[in-house]
Amino acid sequence: MYPDDIKYHKEHTWVRVDGKKATVGITFYAQETLGDIVYIDEPEIDSSVESGAEFTQIESTKATSAVISPVSGKIIEFNEDLGDAPEVINEEPYGKGWIAVIELEDESELDKLLDAGAYEKYVEEEVKDK
Amino acid sequence: MKITVLGAGPGGYVAAIKAAQLGAEVTVIEDGEVGGTCLNWGCIPTKTLIASAEVLHKIKNAKKFGLELDGTVTPNIEKIVERKNKVVSTQVKGIRGLFKSWGVTLVEGRGVIVDPKKIQVTLKDGTTQDVDTDKIIIATGSRPAQIPVFPFDGKRILSSDNAINPDSIPKSLLIVGAGVIGCEFAFIYKEFGSDVTMVEMMPNAVSTEDDEIAQILERELKKNKIKLLTNTSVDKVDVKDDGISVQLSNGKTIEAEKMLVSIGRAVNSENMGLEDVGVNKGQRGDIIVDEKLQTNVEGIYAIGDVIGGIMLAHLASKEGIVAAENAMGGDSKVNYDVVPAAIFTSPEIGSVGLREKQAAEKGINYKVGKFQFRGLGKAHAMGEIVGMFKIISDQESDKILGAHIIGAHASDLVHEIAVAMEKGLTVMDIAHTIHAHPTLAEGIMEAAEDVHDMAIHSPKK
Repeated sequence: MYPDDIKYHKEHTWVRVDGKKATVGITFYAQETLGDIVYIDEPEIDSSVESGAEFTQIESTKATSAVISPVSGKIIEFNEDLGDAPEVINEEPYGKGWIAVIELEDESELDKLLDAGAYEKYVEEEVKDK
Repeated sequence: MKITVLGAGPGGYVAAIKAAQLGAEVTVIEDGEVGGTCLNWGCIPTKTLIASAEVLHKIKNAKKFGLELDGTVTPNIEKIVERKNKVVSTQVKGIRGLFKSWGVTLVEGRGVIVDPKKIQVTLKDGTTQDVDTDKIIIATGSRPAQIPVFPFDGKRILSSDNAINPDSIPKSLLIVGAGVIGCEFAFIYKEFGSDVTMVEMMPNAVSTEDDEIAQILERELKKNKIKLLTNTSVDKVDVKDDGISVQLSNGKTIEAEKMLVSIGRAVNSENMGLEDVGVNKGQRGDIIVDEKLQTNVEGIYAIGDVIGGIMLAHLASKEGIVAAENAMGGDSKVNYDVVPAAIFTSPEIGSVGLREKQAAEKGINYKVGKFQFRGLGKAHAMGEIVGMFKIISDQESDKILGAHIIGAHASDLVHEIAVAMEKGLTVMDIAHTIHAHPTLAEGIMEAAEDVHDMAIHSPKK
């Protein structure tokens, strides 16, 4: 449910880094809580995002929620395939269900993110009881 | 008492019937067709086009409802317009029938006020006829406003009057002005297959609506792949053989097959003798009236779009009733605080009373309750989960100040709140009223409960 090769933000998003490029998406827990995803808003390409701030919105059959960016930088790509098939986020939140690619501004931000173990513990202990 | 009404739109024809009901001898003068803009060019024609678009949308999405479609479905614009015309003509006949039934005389031609007791009508055959009267109600309405440097030509540069009578579906359509009219047409033409781009000077589409409602609508535009450029204006338009080329204030150029200009409406107050009889007008030509809808000239009243302000058919009708009552010696007023409004986008918007921003600007100590359409079982069953109910109330009195609904049937749903506001009911009055299950109206009850953080179907706050 929580792969080791990615880092996690407490707002239930993840990031996979390849050089300066950071691919982001929502976590298994996030998609499970949201339920069936019906739409994801295409963020503006070339716009800047801040770590911890909303960069797009996601709609499920239960709610419309902000998607929080785990890193700061410039959005350089959006997963266009989600336009016609947003349900892929439910099926493969860490794979084909990635949302956007952000060009990293400050790599040191990654140190503040959680690893799989810490995120899982965070979800188990702090989030699920609330 | 003789009352003459100038204009047979939703203001004028209602004023005429009301005056007749109250015992007046009534004449209505109409240059176009009875029903006015509303019935012939606006409200009703667009709704019939929307009805066709909705059926098309449902068929395209049949699979989601477990229906297998064998073959394709294509909009036949000729047939769609034919259906529209049939609906309109039925309604026109209806109004003519009502006139007959109430003994209202219809004079078809262009009326000019000669003096407060006389109107001269130029009939369709060119001859003139004088109509003697005791009182006059002016209800001459409005027309699509155009941008002087690129006037309507009906071919490339369209008004809403042209857009309801298309002879084909343009491959691409640029809509200037993302207000009520622009947005309604955007959804219609997009559904029929046009590539639609909207240009709006204001920061939001439907900028007269509550901010949160406008945001949801903008997301729906995006979902439907209707492009919206806000804070943008049109600098230059080049009309070419195969379309138009438009230069925008952001430096970009957009090419489109056709362009619809929906930037508002201009009042019809020219060439009808108002200056001669000394009726005061405002800067935009709008006729100035008092609370009783009487102009500065004794016995001359004005109602509807021609007095400016909120241009809505149903407000014009209400003003028609009030003016008729006052012309017959009554003392009536319109309650402008409770004017429901409906926008027939996809999904619909229904609103009444104050927006949240207005409540804040007035310094009112207000509370907000909200509920999502996706929280309703009925919305899921219908496959219409997009939308929100929002109620704004006065913190101290608990009275409702406004309500804003976006979602399926929002235009119908808003009236529960309109009645509540008209009668000064509280949020708790709504919350305590049993609402039938499963209905979309349950969302109003839940939003009312949410004002006090007690919505049953919302998580604890």
